[in-house]
Amino acid sequence: MSATEQRLEDILNNDIWDVDSNPHITVDSEKCKNCNTKPCIRLCPAGCYTMSEKTLVFSYEGCVECGTCRVVCPLEAIHWEFPKSGRGIYFRFS
Amino acid sequence: MAEIPDKFDAIVIGAGPAGSASAYYLATKGFKVLVLERGRSPGSKNVFGGRVYVAPLKEIFPDFEKSAPIHRWVTRERMSFMHGNELVSLDYEGNDHKSFTTYLSQLAAWMALKAESAGASIVSDITVTGLLKEGDKVIGIKAGNESVKADVVIDAEGVNRLVLESTGLVQALKPSQVALGVKEVVKVNPEVLANEFGLGEGEGMAWSLMGDVTSGLPGGGFIYTNKDSVSIGLVMLLDSAISGANDEVYKYVERLKTHPKLSKYFKDSRIMEYSAHLIPEDVSSLMPPRLAYDGLLISGDAAGFLLNLGYTYRGVDFAAYSGYLAGKAIEQAHGLGGMSAANLLVYTKLLDQSFIMKNLKRFSGTHKLMRNRRLFTAYPAMMASLMRHIYSLDYESQKMFNTVLGSAKENGMGPFTLLTDGIEVMRYL
Amino acid sequence: MMGLNIVLLFKYVPNTNTVNVDPNTGTLVREGVPSVVNPHDLDAAEFALELREKYGGKITAMIMAPPNATKGIEFLLGMGVDDGVLITDRAYGGADTLATSYVLAAGIKTLEHYDLIITGQETLDSSTAHIGAQLASWLKIPYVYYVTEASLDNGALVVNRQLESCTEKYKVKLPALITVLMHSHPPRPITLENKLRAVIKKPVMMLTNNELKLNIQCTGLRGSPTVVAKTEFVSKIPRKKEIIKDKSPQEAAAWLISKLKDEGFLN
Repeated sequence: MSATEQRLEDILNNDIWDVDSNPHITVDSEKCKNCNTKPCIRLCPAGCYTMSEKTLVFSYEGCVECGTCRVVCPLEAIHWEFPKSGRGIYFRFS
Repeated sequence: MAEIPDKFDAIVIGAGPAGSASAYYLATKGFKVLVLERGRSPGSKNVFGGRVYVAPLKEIFPDFEKSAPIHRWVTRERMSFMHGNELVSLDYEGNDHKSFTTYLSQLAAWMALKAESAGASIVSDITVTGLLKEGDKVIGIKAGNESVKADVVIDAEGVNRLVLESTGLVQALKPSQVALGVKEVVKVNPEVLANEFGLGEGEGMAWSLMGDVTSGLPGGGFIYTNKDSVSIGLVMLLDSAISGANDEVYKYVERLKTHPKLSKYFKDSRIMEYSAHLIPEDVSSLMPPRLAYDGLLISGDAAGFLLNLGYTYRGVDFAAYSGYLAGKAIEQAHGLGGMSAANLLVYTKLLDQSFIMKNLKRFSGTHKLMRNRRLFTAYPAMMASLMRHIYSLDYESQKMFNTVLGSAKENGMGPFTLLTDGIEVMRYL
Repeated sequence: MMGLNIVLLFKYVPNTNTVNVDPNTGTLVREGVPSVVNPHDLDAAEFALELREKYGGKITAMIMAPPNATKGIEFLLGMGVDDGVLITDRAYGGADTLATSYVLAAGIKTLEHYDLIITGQETLDSSTAHIGAQLASWLKIPYVYYVTEASLDNGALVVNRQLESCTEKYKVKLPALITVLMHSHPPRPITLENKLRAVIKKPVMMLTNNELKLNIQCTGLRGSPTVVAKTEFVSKIPRKKEIIKDKSPQEAAAWLISKLKDEGFLN
């Protein structure tokens, strides 16, 4: 098979998580509403942030824990912390 | 059964390269050390580019080369400028064992095991959330509503400094201070490593790429050959990426991997893992105001110790060595009578005398250099057109000097720009 | 009665939230897949901890596995389990459920005293749900599965068993064995205090066949009548995404059914 561009979902499918039932990401939707640029959407490497209609939706399950979202969010609407109890991403080859 | 001490001699936050190096050193000197790791096991949260410089690690771990998970020694360095479908490359083949490729997940696990064998207690699954303080003095750590005490804490929590932020010792990261690294580790056919990369047994390649890799954004691509896989990814300065990246970042990696000139290296490949990490970039602004406080030392990425020269990165060896020096500083402070800020100040002195601060000072301007967009747009293009003029001939050949100027002009640069950029590169690199 | 002596049985399984097939060879990719405590056994652990909080006593985590499963015991100790028993021997390798339950029964018999054996409903990696029934048979004790609640009543155990359409209530003599309904008891987080105790005190006992003295014809691969006749790889179906909007629930359901028929998933 020659190398062809893959979809993010298929790329992420190779990673392993032990997903916490408590989200380690929360978004203040009131603050988020006032953001026109939403750099999190393009810059989250795991595509955790997407638009649905006119609001931002996020999923914490596939987070690779780089911390980019909390740095790029211009309105500090994203609260991101480390998952607890050893949960979250489990890197083996990185 | 061993007893749980009321207080440890030292607590280390994070079992990464910095944390485990300090824990290992302190444990070998008889200190009662506790390492707290937020991952399920040491290494499971660590990410790097792909290459480690070995000298500092050999100093920390005398038997390093014998038992560490070294995949390949970097015997071949390649630097490429990418412009459209053209690639201009510079190759260097050496025989020295100066750096090697590996998985940091494996290397960090190995280092933690060394620390554990030396007598350190490694406790994983625990996320440290804050520092325990008595006045200005750090006397332990907090994990949720629990705490443990120690004479000294080494903060080696990594680039996302949630503990230091919560304590008010550093500000939240700004986009101008860090770069985003995104990487795929890809299983490749052994023949690809032998035939396409031209590598023999145990030989490895470190390859840096500039130009269209990042669509001209400040940053670059990298490729490292591991034992039976290849790490491929790219780094983008985060502030430029916010304004300039038009696509989702993973697409840049996929595009690099499927580039017409690179896809042969990834024939029949399979992604093993996808990862991302923030990288300290503007080190002088990132470094905490102090690295030694009453009962607290800061090391590794948390201290901002990383050198990005554009063509290579040094993070793991800097982190490990700073952790090792933190261990030495604690040993010396112990001899002086305790973990006061005054006694621990020796850490700063040890760092200043080491290659870490010498390098960081010497290359403190590279951060500014990275802001020169031409390095990522016009120059790769110019290199490509220069080579095209020299090699891609039908009948007549041109004189080299005229060709350089002509190629520069094609890409919007006159002799003066060339000269000033040249001086800038000489000054900072 | 002075509290409940609980044995918590668990399995240490590959984290199979990712099961990937190598597109080139068609085989499962197992390289570097870390093991975790079987998630359904974490429900059992939480269940056991709640019982201990209510009645006092002690919880011993037990597993038959290679030595790396010590990490799994360490995780359960981190949740608050009191101690662990690792049953490990080369002669026990390659066991099916029958040979496994045989060894576990012998392991449990070495314990001074036990009132209750608790384990998860099934495992993530094989989902046979055999062990509970087999082990109860070896030990000749009552067995209730799909349990969601338990309490003591004059030295007997009263349990609720959740079925699809109803809840059944049983009163059983102790010692007994129960398996806990999956997802019924989300596990509590690891605590620093518990983890410190696990790492520094290492309250884990190891049992090998030197102690259990079992006939090795009845253990491991040799004691396993199960034969895997054939395995088939089902090729991966690429995911598709279509968003249904502006349809009533009835219309949307009808649309989905017709879609599934078109794709050949429904007749």
